[in-house]
Amino acid sequence: MSTLFQDIIVFTILAVALVFLFKKYIWKKKAKKACGTDDCGCH
Amino acid sequence: MQHTIVHLKRGEKGVITDVSSELIPLKLLEMGCLPGNFVELVQVAPFSDPLYLNINGSHLAIRKETAIHILIDKIDE
Amino acid sequence: MSKQINVALIGNPNTGKTSVFNALTGLNQQVGNYPGITVEKKEGICKLPRGVKAHIIDLPGTYSLNASSLDESVVIELLLNKNDKDFPDVAVVVSDVENLKRNLLLFTQIKDLEIPCLLVVNMADRMRRKGITLDIGYLEQQLETKIAVISTRKNEGIENLKQQISNYKELSVKPCLNASEIDTEYFNRLQKAFPNQLLYKLWLVITQDVNFGKTDRKDIDAIASFKTKSKGDLKRLQQKETIKRYQFINNVLKRGQTIDITQATDVRTKLDRILTHKIWGYVIFFFILLTIFQAIYDWSSVPMDWIDSSFASLSNWVKETFPGGGKVTDLIAEGIISGLGGIVIFIPQIAFLFLFISILEESGYMSRVVFLMDRIMRRFGLSGKSIVPLISGTACAIPAIMATRNIESWKERLITILVTPFTTCSARLPVYLIIISLVIPEGRILGLSYQALTLMLLYLIGFGAAVGSAWILNKVLKIKSKTFFVVEMPNYKVPLFKNVALTVLEKTKAFIFGAGKIILAISIVLWVLASYGPGEQFNNAENIITEQYAAQDLTEDELQQKIASHKLEHSFIGLTGRAIEPAIRPLGYDWKIGIAIVSSFAAREVFVGTLATIYSVGSDDEETIKNRMAGEVNPILGGPLFNFASGISLLLFYAFAMQCMSTLAIVKKETNSWKWPTYQFVIMTAIAYIVALLSFQFLK
Repeated sequence: MSTLFQDIIVFTILAVALVFLFKKYIWKKKAKKACGTDDCGCH
Repeated sequence: MQHTIVHLKRGEKGVITDVSSELIPLKLLEMGCLPGNFVELVQVAPFSDPLYLNINGSHLAIRKETAIHILIDKIDE
Repeated sequence: MSKQINVALIGNPNTGKTSVFNALTGLNQQVGNYPGITVEKKEGICKLPRGVKAHIIDLPGTYSLNASSLDESVVIELLLNKNDKDFPDVAVVVSDVENLKRNLLLFTQIKDLEIPCLLVVNMADRMRRKGITLDIGYLEQQLETKIAVISTRKNEGIENLKQQISNYKELSVKPCLNASEIDTEYFNRLQKAFPNQLLYKLWLVITQDVNFGKTDRKDIDAIASFKTKSKGDLKRLQQKETIKRYQFINNVLKRGQTIDITQATDVRTKLDRILTHKIWGYVIFFFILLTIFQAIYDWSSVPMDWIDSSFASLSNWVKETFPGGGKVTDLIAEGIISGLGGIVIFIPQIAFLFLFISILEESGYMSRVVFLMDRIMRRFGLSGKSIVPLISGTACAIPAIMATRNIESWKERLITILVTPFTTCSARLPVYLIIISLVIPEGRILGLSYQALTLMLLYLIGFGAAVGSAWILNKVLKIKSKTFFVVEMPNYKVPLFKNVALTVLEKTKAFIFGAGKIILAISIVLWVLASYGPGEQFNNAENIITEQYAAQDLTEDELQQKIASHKLEHSFIGLTGRAIEPAIRPLGYDWKIGIAIVSSFAAREVFVGTLATIYSVGSDDEETIKNRMAGEVNPILGGPLFNFASGISLLLFYAFAMQCMSTLAIVKKETNSWKWPTYQFVIMTAIAYIVALLSFQFLK
């Protein structure tokens, strides 16, 4: 396998990992704003 | 003198005469803490707080701050 | 096609509702969360007679429909929203034969919503021992329902229950209590305004402060004009309602239930006399904690070592089998397999902790713990139940944080989650041990070695930091929380194996599929950062090192170690370590320690391994690394790099810093937000930095 090809695979996997972490972060923001400040029911 | 649950000693019993509903959580009423029901002090933690009670067959623990609002007549045995 | 019906299991806590759920669904169950909140949603599938399939929801335990917590509002929100896809075709109310009176309160409320309602009397096996007899025919007639008498412990009556669920259409929906009896004038007015609505439902909408479905919103806004009564008035009416319900229940039970007290055996009183005793209660609890600690610290080390070595050999196997794979092989072997290993390694500790916790919960002992510890823990804004996470955090913060689930008050639970990582977890030990042996002299005082005393002091600092920060958080966090405290003291029971096993299984699964994904993703990112670097120094490391050491006669192994060291130094992580050097120099560290600190974000124990790579000592042998560390010279101040001042500074840094992505991942999962893990990371790191800075500047 060429080095370039390997790097492509590695960076694709890295991108998947980053998108996953990022999505978890963004998705939460949409769910509810006042989270965790009281017994409001959103946590 | 008006007694409250706090005045009970371990093993003593009483009859609830009045609960001031503003200060007592509804949940406690629903668990049987209503006028006319029996209450027994089963066990006390150090510094008599919390109190472990048997109210009308329900066994529950409440804090001293709640217990002072439950008026009772002591039953002498 | 077989049709599916919705069944909701409802009941007071401690009635064995979950056992009924487990008996009906077995392994056909899954646990999730209600959208946006951390209340557990348990659902499962059960096959009923005549090919009917039942979708069963195990609703959170509640004492009544008057919600006082998040869990309870879930119940009422579902029961009032006919458009919810989970709205039950039939409600199965689970009750405990010993507390039938109190359990029936909830039953009458649900029946008044005109939902077909089936009563389950559980724990029938205890009836004789308690001298209880029930006149089922009479009760069915008076309550206008069907009653299933079952025993989940003896596995009796389950088939009959399934049969009765499938016959749900025959159940009467006549209410138990005429709501207008509570306050005739007020309720008549209400009914006139909303002639098509159920009176009791209207009443609940008025009194409950919960989140109703959109469809009901218009009605509710209109009803709000009926909130003319003050809160106190409404509560008085609720009290009146409760009294009326109990009158009804007492009347029914007067003939339907007889209790012969002379037949009752009282294990509870005997056990409570010891287990909640002012002195013995605490002694026994202390020994139970000690056993739990021993289990997660010691017993789980065997499977953990096995997992560790298995993943290491798997990683080696991959490298040896696919040597031509280059970077991709390395990613799989070092990034992904090690990342997976880093998740699996926690399973023994999680399983052991939850084995004990579910036994404590199931047996009824946990309520006694709350009773014993409430007064002490309350001062720090913690719950009586917080003591278990805090102690087990000494082995590992991850299962400990998962164990906070059973703390009812959100504020107390949040504080427990936030402070638990301060306790000295076992991953800090390798770091502590190597640094202590380097910088603390070997002498003894009063027969105790200085080194042992230092280690003990670090444990105390961990506890002190946890309790102290809890005290501060309690003052600082502005979270409205229920101030009252009512804890039911359930009967003692022998835990059911099936329930314990399912809890352990479910918690382990929750960790692997919840936090595990985050841990794996971060491991991959960290691996890439350590395996890639910009510029010639990184990409040409082989040539540079080979040339540099050409004159010396290095073995192949030594050369490879030098290359690995050089690469790490110039990788992205290495550059970060160098970049933060100005910031950590006042703490007494050099850039090599900086790299080790950055990479030990994956897990604290990685610190030692990273230093080994940087110093290019091939083996993981502790003596070799230690000797190499002892030889390091401080580039600025001269003298040994690891001296008393920098050693203490490093120990304190590790004591306070939040260097564990797995803990952050589980905090994210348990609080359902990145906000708290972010705060935790920033604040703990800041404390660690300041304490380390002060100690080094003071001691140097």
